[in-house]
Amino acid sequence: MRRRWRAWDVAVLVLLAAWATPYFWQVRTSFTPDRELLAAPRAVPAAPTLAHYQAVAEKSVMPRALGNSFGVATLTTLLALVLGLPAAYAVARLPIPGKRVVLLVVVASTAFPQISTVSPLYLLLRALGLRDTWTALVLANTSFALPLLIWLLAGFIREIPIALEEAAFLDGAGRATVLRLVILPLVAPGVASAALLTFLAAWNEFLFAYTFTASEASRTVPVALALFPGVFEIPWGDIAAASILASLPPVIIVIALQRWLVRGLVAGALKD
Amino acid sequence: MRSAALLLAALVVLGGCAERPRTAEPATLVFKHAKILGPLDPIPGLLREFERRHPGVTVRSEPLTWTSDEQHQFYVINLDGATPAFDVLLLDLIWVPEFAQAGWLLDLSPWVTQRELAPHFPAAAAASVWNGRVWGLPWNMNVGVLYYRADLLAKYRLAPPRTWEELVEQAERIRRGERDPRLEGVLWQGKQYEGLVVNVLEHFWASGTALLDERDRVLAEPARAAAALRFMRTLIDSGASPSWVTAGDEELTRRPFGDGRAVFLRSWPYAMDLFEAPDSPVRGRVGIASLPGHAGGAAGAGATGGFHLAVNRRTRHAEAAVELVRFLAGPEGQRAITAAGVALYPTRVDLYRDPLAIKAHPHMPRFHDLALRARPRPITPYYLMLSTTVQPEFSAALVGVKTPEQAIDYARRRLDYMLSGIR
Amino acid sequence: MTARQRADRLSGLAFVSPALLALAATAVYPGLWVLWLSLQQRIPIFGIARFVGLEHYAFLAGDARFWNAVRVTLTFTVVSVALELALGLVVAMALQRQQAGRRLALSLLLLAWALPSVVTAKLFEWLYHPSAGLVNVLLGGRELNWLGDPRLALPALIAADVWRTMPFVALLCYARLLTIPGDVYEAARVDGAGRTAMLAFITLPLLRPVLLIALLFRTLDALRAFDLMFVLTGCEHAGTTETLTVYAYRSLFQTLQLGFGAAVGCVIFALVMAVAWAYLRAIQPEGAAA
Repeated sequence: MRRRWRAWDVAVLVLLAAWATPYFWQVRTSFTPDRELLAAPRAVPAAPTLAHYQAVAEKSVMPRALGNSFGVATLTTLLALVLGLPAAYAVARLPIPGKRVVLLVVVASTAFPQISTVSPLYLLLRALGLRDTWTALVLANTSFALPLLIWLLAGFIREIPIALEEAAFLDGAGRATVLRLVILPLVAPGVASAALLTFLAAWNEFLFAYTFTASEASRTVPVALALFPGVFEIPWGDIAAASILASLPPVIIVIALQRWLVRGLVAGALKD
Repeated sequence: MRSAALLLAALVVLGGCAERPRTAEPATLVFKHAKILGPLDPIPGLLREFERRHPGVTVRSEPLTWTSDEQHQFYVINLDGATPAFDVLLLDLIWVPEFAQAGWLLDLSPWVTQRELAPHFPAAAAASVWNGRVWGLPWNMNVGVLYYRADLLAKYRLAPPRTWEELVEQAERIRRGERDPRLEGVLWQGKQYEGLVVNVLEHFWASGTALLDERDRVLAEPARAAAALRFMRTLIDSGASPSWVTAGDEELTRRPFGDGRAVFLRSWPYAMDLFEAPDSPVRGRVGIASLPGHAGGAAGAGATGGFHLAVNRRTRHAEAAVELVRFLAGPEGQRAITAAGVALYPTRVDLYRDPLAIKAHPHMPRFHDLALRARPRPITPYYLMLSTTVQPEFSAALVGVKTPEQAIDYARRRLDYMLSGIR
Repeated sequence: MTARQRADRLSGLAFVSPALLALAATAVYPGLWVLWLSLQQRIPIFGIARFVGLEHYAFLAGDARFWNAVRVTLTFTVVSVALELALGLVVAMALQRQQAGRRLALSLLLLAWALPSVVTAKLFEWLYHPSAGLVNVLLGGRELNWLGDPRLALPALIAADVWRTMPFVALLCYARLLTIPGDVYEAARVDGAGRTAMLAFITLPLLRPVLLIALLFRTLDALRAFDLMFVLTGCEHAGTTETLTVYAYRSLFQTLQLGFGAAVGCVIFALVMAVAWAYLRAIQPEGAAA
C-alpha cells in the first residue's frame, strides 16, 4: 500500500540513518586507500579502492573463516531443529512426566552464562579430542541454540488451534504423523523465524569459537576478525573490509528476511 | 710422513662421512614457525639445504600467526593430548620450561649434550635447559638495549648515561638546548603486554631486585620493586617520556625515534637494521649502549628474548626431527641468519666475530658484549602465569590508577596464592 | 489413564528425550561440573588437579581485582540498561507514528543489533581512534584517547553497547505499540487528553509488561556480556573495563587456572540466577508477564 511521505517519516529515517552511521563509516573505511585513512577524514574517500577487499580475499584467512562460519551455523541450526521441533511439540501439547522440571531446565539454560560453562566444555572437548573441529563448535552452540529454539517453537505451536490436530486423530493418525503432516506445514513460518534467529546467534557467537579453535581449520569469522593480523600497524582498512564481509549474512537477513526475523524476535519476548 | 698420510686419510674419510647423505627412510617433517619479518627469509633456503643432505626427508614449513599470544594458544590447544600435526616447532624461549613441564617436548638430552650448548650465549643456553634436561636449542637472540642519538649527545659533549637518573638529566639538557617541542626524551614499551613486563624487569634488575629471586620467592623486596615502578611513572609525569608510551609497543616506539623525534629508545637489536636503512633519517647517527642502572642500585642489564627450536614429543620421526633442529641451530643454520637483509641475530657467540657477518651487520660486536651481560626472564613453567598476572598491575601503576606500592602488594599476594601448592 | 493418554505420555517422552539429552550434555552437566571445578586447583596442561575446597572463594572475597570487576560489571549493567530502555522507548514511540518507509526504518534500526559483536567492537575501536576516529573529528579534532584513558574507557564501552542493544528494546516496544488500536487514542483525544496524558495513561501502562521483559532480558545479557569488552580491551589499562566475565576468562585461559577461573564463573552464574529469580519474584503478584 503506497503511503504518502510526511515530514515525520523522513525525520525518523534520517535519525535512524544517523544511528546506523558507525556501520556506514566502516563501509566507507573499507573503500578508503591507506594513505587517506589517517588523514583528515572526508565523507567519501577521494580515491575509492578495492585493495582492502583484495587483501582480505587473498591474504587473510577470512575466506576460509567464512566457510567455517557457514558450516558451523548451518549445522547448529539443523541440529537444533531436528532435536528441538519434536521437543517443542511435546512441550506445547503433550503430558510429559515432570514437565515443569523440563520447562525449568529449558528456560534456565537460556540464562546460563557462557563464561561459566566454557571451562567444563573445554575439558570435555579436550577429552573427546575434538578441539579445532566444527563438531566442537556445533556441540557447544547447541547449549544455547536448542533451548532458544524450543522456547520459540513451542510458542508458535501453541498458536495453532487444537481442532486441527483433533481432526487428524479422528482419522487415526499418531502423534508423529500429526507433527509431520499437520503441525509442520502450519508452523513453517515460525520455524523459518526461529531458524533465522538461531543461525544469526550461531554466526555471531564468539566466546566458544575463540576458546575451542586454534587454526583456520575451524576458525569462524568473529574469531578471525578479532585476531586479524596487524604486523606493525593496525590495518584499519583491511579490518573494515573484513568486518563488512563478516556482517554480510546478518545484514542480508535484516534487510531481505526482515519479516521473519522480526516475528521471531517479538515472539520470543512477548509470548513468555 | 706415514702419520701425515694417515691423518690425511682420516680427514678424507671423516670429511666424506660428514658430507655423505644419510639414507633415512622417507619422512616428511612439518616445521611450525612464526613468520620471519624483514626483507629476507632464511628459512626456505635452510630447509632445502637440509633436504639435500638428507635425501628421503622433506620438510614442510608452516607459518604461525604473528602475535605471541595466538602462537601460544595454538600450541596449547594442539599439543595438549592431540595428534602430532607438526614435528619441529619454533617457540618463544619463555615457553620452553612450560612446554617441557607439560610433557609436550621431546627430551633432547640423549642427542644433545650440555657441551653442544656451549657455543651459544649463556643466557640462551640456560633457557634451553629445564630440570637438568635439554628441551630445545637456541635459534635467535634478542637483548634489550638502549639506543641514543650519538650526534645529539656528542653535540652536548655527553657520554652515554650509566644510570637512569643521568639519562633523564641528559634528555632534559638536550631538549632544552634543541628547543624542539616535538623532541621526546626517552621512549620505551609501556603497553599492557609482555613487552611491559620486560621493561619493568629491566628496571627491577637495575634496582637490585627481581620478580623471582634465586630462592623462587616472588617480589621478595616489595619496596625496591615499588620504587622501580615509581621511577617509571615519574618518567611520564616529568615529561621525560610522552604519556602515550603507556600504549606503546616495539613498533610504535621505534618509528618516532627512527624519524629523529626522540633522544633515547629502549628496544631490541632488530631496530638497528631499520635505523641504518638507506632512507632512514637517523642513519649513522644512532649509538648503542647498555641499559642504564639505577643510582644506588645495580648495573643495568637487558632482558633476553628469542626463539628456540624444539621437537614435538609425539613426533613419528624423532631422529630426523632432532637432526633438523641441530642443523638449524648449528653453525651453518645460524650463519644463514647473519646474511644481510635478515633482521635476526644468532645465538652462537663465534658468529659475532665472523668478518662476513660483521660486514652485513656492523653492530654485531656491540650486541655481542651486551648479550653476554643479558639476563633471562624467570625460567619457570609458570612464567606465562606470572606475566599475565603482573601485567595489569604494572599497567595500573604506570597509568596512575594504583600506586606502585598497591600494585606490587597486590601482585605479590595474587602470585603467592596462585603458586601455592604447586611449587 | 486412557490408552490415548498413555500413548501421549510415551510420545512426549520420546519427542523430548533427544533434546533433553543434548541439553544435559552441553548445558546442565557443564553447569554442575563448573561447581566441582571451582573447588579444585586445576591446571590441565601440568596435570595438576588438587582439591582445595572453598579457598578460591575465600581469596575472591578479599581480592581487590574481583571487587573492581564487580563494580565495573554493575556500573556497566545499570547504566547500559537504563540508556537502552529510555532510548528504545523513544525510538519505538517515534516509529509508532511512522507511516511510510517502515521497512527501511526497521532495516536501519536492526542493523546495529544484528552485527556480530566483534564487528561492532572493531567498528568502535576505529571510531574511537585518537587522531583519525570519527568521534574525535566530530568533536572538533580533540585527540581524546577514548579507550586508553581510564576515565573515558568505561563510558566509551557503554556507548558501544547501547548502540547495539537499543534496537532490540525499540523493536519489542514497537511491536507492542502496534497492537494498540488507534481508537483508544481517538477516544482519549475526544475526552480532551493532551499528548502527555496519553503517554502517561495509555502508552506507558500498556507498555509496562514489555518494558519489564526487556528489562529482564537486557539485564541478564549485560551481566553476561563478554565479546565487546574483551575485543575492545586491546588498549585497556589495568582493569578499567574488566568486567567479571573478562576477569573469569583471563583467569581461565591466560593463566590456565581452570579451578580459579571456574570459581569466578560460578560467582557470575549465581549472580545471574539470583537476579533472574529476584525479578520473577518481584513481578509475580501481577500475574504472568504479558
